[in-house]
Amino acid sequence: MLRKLCFLAALMLLAGISAGAQEKIPSRKVVTSDYNRNSISMVAVQRGDSFDSEVTSAVKSFSPSQKFDVNNISTKTIRIRKSRDEAVSQSEMDEAVSATPFAREILSSIFNRDSQGMMDDKTVRYRGNYDAKDQDVINARASRVGTDALGDLGHALVKGSYVVLTDIYGIDRSVDRQGNVHYAIRSQAYAYKIGLGENGLSDFYEQCWIYDDDDDATRAAKRRAFQNLAIDMVPVAHATSFLSGSSVEDATESALSSLITALENRIPEWEVAVGIIATKPLRAKIGTKEGLTNGARYRAYSYSEDRSGRLKSVPRGFIRATTISSNTGMSIGATEPSEFYQISGLANIEEGWTIKQSNDAGIGIMPYVRVGGICTVSAGLDLDWLMKTTTHGSMQYLLATIGLDVNSNPYTAVNFGLGYGYALHLTRFFELMPYGILGLDHLGLSDDDISGDDSRFIRSSALMLEPGIRVAANVAYPLQVYAKVCADLLLPLGDIYKRYNESMEYYYNNNHHSGVGIQFGVKWTF
Amino acid sequence: MRKTLLIALTMLVTLSAVSVSAQNKDRRKSFKSWDNYEITTEKVGVDGTKFVKVWGFGKTVDAATMNAKENAVHACIFRGLPGSATAMSTPPICPNPDTMSANEDYFQKFFAAGGPYLAYVSMTTDGVPSGTDKRKVKGGYKVGIYVQVMYDNLKRKLEADGIARKLSSGF
Repeated sequence: MLRKLCFLAALMLLAGISAGAQEKIPSRKVVTSDYNRNSISMVAVQRGDSFDSEVTSAVKSFSPSQKFDVNNISTKTIRIRKSRDEAVSQSEMDEAVSATPFAREILSSIFNRDSQGMMDDKTVRYRGNYDAKDQDVINARASRVGTDALGDLGHALVKGSYVVLTDIYGIDRSVDRQGNVHYAIRSQAYAYKIGLGENGLSDFYEQCWIYDDDDDATRAAKRRAFQNLAIDMVPVAHATSFLSGSSVEDATESALSSLITALENRIPEWEVAVGIIATKPLRAKIGTKEGLTNGARYRAYSYSEDRSGRLKSVPRGFIRATTISSNTGMSIGATEPSEFYQISGLANIEEGWTIKQSNDAGIGIMPYVRVGGICTVSAGLDLDWLMKTTTHGSMQYLLATIGLDVNSNPYTAVNFGLGYGYALHLTRFFELMPYGILGLDHLGLSDDDISGDDSRFIRSSALMLEPGIRVAANVAYPLQVYAKVCADLLLPLGDIYKRYNESMEYYYNNNHHSGVGIQFGVKWTF
Repeated sequence: MRKTLLIALTMLVTLSAVSVSAQNKDRRKSFKSWDNYEITTEKVGVDGTKFVKVWGFGKTVDAATMNAKENAVHACIFRGLPGSATAMSTPPICPNPDTMSANEDYFQKFFAAGGPYLAYVSMTTDGVPSGTDKRKVKGGYKVGIYVQVMYDNLKRKLEADGIARKLSSGF
């Protein structure tokens, strides 16, 4: 009895210690529900080689998403002497950035500083008005200062100024059989944020702002103060990308978009956050001004307080943007909301929950095993890319498939195709998608040489048409399981295919034919 | 020896249980308390009004919102409004701490559900409370809303009803 009691007491004591320890553990980071516009400046890294002009041209002509304001700084390029075969490291980039007065240039751009050192707040006030949300407008109307004060919101936006330095390296030139030249490039971007501390902007106004009634000596002192401003640029994120194009400039242009998207995922301040204002359908007051596009993915969060009164953010599921509102004007307190469709989460998303940008490529990768269809058993990989989604849950996909007959030895039997699917969601947990795929089923022997001989490839292939229905169910988003029922139709295109197929039938009792198949697999959405 | 140990263990277990229970009781009590709410002055309101952000608690979001409105009016009458970076503090309309108990019947009717207090407060939150202004807590929701209190009208009403003293009454 005593032992039991001792054990019980020890257990309670341990529980007490554990609870006490938990109190001291800092809470998990709370997802913010605030979002303000940020401004960026794109800068190209030059290496001193023949590709510099193309890279610089692409970076200069790049227009970032509408969610960013652009600070037109005078430095568009920086030079780092290093072979383009290697990437510029963080320390090399830090060194180059610290040698360039980016912070001063940003402030000059935002405050329209002229050669005499005179500045104005036109851009700041414009950005403040442009960034103002409906709540800001309502607050301004309820206060004595009125809506004229909305422009003051722009001063807080100065702290959200970034420089993005893009470095293109590892350029690989190749020429195909038709003589077309392709360039594959590696790219990376380093983002730096202006290091204005708590009082940084106040100090700047106090020390550097020249007033009309300042005398010459004061003006000169303020100009000197501006030149001596020591504001650091703080490294905040790094992203890489690998792309190709018909020229280095083309490839760089494509790379820049993907680099900005990658940086968005690494810089929380760049992720748009807003509250849900209505359900059925889900609505939120964001739109083109925030760079919202159809299919863009957001994650929903609710907030709660634990027993100690600490705030927690609870992830509640994902949604995709469907109908996008055009909100690029100044807010007047009645912004038209965009609509969304919930794609995951056990709970229905409620009014007042926060949604936060959670970029994905909208690409699903689906390894599968198929029984029946054109052959007895096959395995392969399906891909789908979300093209469009609607408020009622219909989604359009571009499909791609590649499969291998696992019993075709000594022949190599590969089928591949492209298709289109129109998915319906009866609930967010299940997706029903009629689809069609058009492709080729190819039979070959390992010693067949088809290089440079397109006709032999066609003669050993059959046209494959695959209508079917796919049913997918959420397991734990982004993981889904799915099953497909398909009716494969084969139309041989040449004599070699027919000969190989007959041979497979004769020797191995396994020929390729039209037929109904069933396929199982899992889907992971990136 | 055994007996002593047994008694000590029993006391330890009892004390732990009492302590946990007391903490829960305190928390429940703090939520029900009239004085347990947060209020901040947002900006200087338009003439005759106070523009504040106030928190309320209730089993549903609607109930919490109503509670927040009550709290805003209550603060103007009894607590006063704190100052902020952009606004001065505001003294309570009824600074006498006994006013509430001395006029209990009046204030019970004034703050009743759908009572006259609603004429002096308007919610200026855009839509529903959202983001960190809507929090699930044990037993319900805690919401923060922006409200405009018709301070001058409220003051005149309380003066007319003989609850608050007019400034001129001292002379």
